[in-house]
Amino acid sequence: MTQHDPALLSAALAGIERALNQAIALSPTSHEELAGLAGTVLGVEITTFDLTVYLEIVSGIETRLLTHCELPTAAFVRGTVEDFASLASSKDPAAVLINSGIELEGNSASLITLQQIISRMDIDWEAPLVATLGDVMGHQIAEILRNIFRWGESARASLRRQVSEFVLEEARLTPPKAELEYFFDAVQSLSMQVDRVQNKVEKLRAKVEQKRGQP
Amino acid sequence: MTDDTTSTPHEEDNTTDFGFSRVNRGDKAGMVRGVFDSVAGRYDLMNDLMSGGIHRIWKRFTIELSAVRPGQTVLDIAGGTGDLAAKFSRLVGSEGQVILADINAAMLTVGRDRLIDKGATGNVQVVQADAQHLPFDDNSIDCITIAFGLRNVTDKAMAMRSMLRVLRPGGRLLVLEFSKPTSALLGKLYDQYSFQILPAMGRLIAQDAESYRYLAESIRQHPDQETLLEMMETAGFVNCRYHNMTGGVVALHQGFKA
Repeated sequence: MTQHDPALLSAALAGIERALNQAIALSPTSHEELAGLAGTVLGVEITTFDLTVYLEIVSGIETRLLTHCELPTAAFVRGTVEDFASLASSKDPAAVLINSGIELEGNSASLITLQQIISRMDIDWEAPLVATLGDVMGHQIAEILRNIFRWGESARASLRRQVSEFVLEEARLTPPKAELEYFFDAVQSLSMQVDRVQNKVEKLRAKVEQKRGQP
Repeated sequence: MTDDTTSTPHEEDNTTDFGFSRVNRGDKAGMVRGVFDSVAGRYDLMNDLMSGGIHRIWKRFTIELSAVRPGQTVLDIAGGTGDLAAKFSRLVGSEGQVILADINAAMLTVGRDRLIDKGATGNVQVVQADAQHLPFDDNSIDCITIAFGLRNVTDKAMAMRSMLRVLRPGGRLLVLEFSKPTSALLGKLYDQYSFQILPAMGRLIAQDAESYRYLAESIRQHPDQETLLEMMETAGFVNCRYHNMTGGVVALHQGFKA
């Protein structure tokens, strides 16, 4: 239990749970995969806010978000908001789990499976629009939204490329990636050479000590 | 939700509280029944309007804390219009059992109709019962909830002993009830709201200002968080604790049968 007002937390979780279940309902391809995790409970402690929440996968179409859960958890993870953001957006969640500051208790398999299901979710936004506005109007609005979304994606990629070019080529604020990698390789190589020299020195020192000890 | 017996009894003069008034103990059940008969039809609508929908969040947390599992038996006392019972019905599944109990027939009728509308029928029993004399076997219930009903019970200690009797060892009691705000400023705002706005809303929506004035007064007469905790411990519950919600406007008390 956390020290937050349970009503505030429950209200927030109720909203998120509703949105999550709505998204699942609009992604039929995820239902079967989620059904495979039915009965699984995952615990998440966000240390930034001193907040613990539990996700229970009830069935292929329903999840529950809880502030209090007495069921055994398949996995319990603890970390900061930044840690969880990088886990959620990662293409290699296993690597993030190992390399980030996230602490994991229990079995990581269900956690990784869930992250993969979420990243593969293909939400059919057109369905609720068509149900509300009718076939023609719903489809037209969905097309407009899709075009806006595609434009946004392409604008984002373009902006990222241009900012990167400006930082590297125009302003020379950071070294190019290849130069940085070469530098890191050189540092790593130097580090290994130092280790080897240190080992040799240790061996020589041991031999000298041994000879001193002989009559 | 109601349990239409009355509040704190006074043995010496045979009177008890009815809101801020004193009335004969024998008269009280009928008076409280009158209040809830009057508001039964629009009880949920009024709850939504009066609390801004927050009562659903308070009940959601109650359900979380109940940790009810499939196959268990849940008793919802003063369950009135059945919103908790409907959710418990899904959680206990076809192997479990939910008993919706209320002393007030009008509220129970509304609750039963709502449950049927929601499809919660196979595992739900509807029972008209007095919290002080629960008509169930000893050690037969896994979880008891009483939401916004305990303040209307005449002899709360007697009701708690009755609940303890029917609970299985390890079973839990959850009491969701209005309580004492933790901040003085919130307390003043809450008083203004309860005694000015609430009766006005009751007059407008349920055409019944007096019933809603009684509700506000009965909340003020209800024991505060610590007193209720002590009452639960005195009744024999163990590991008792409470959670303040919305600044103490409502508290959820929890206790277990050893």
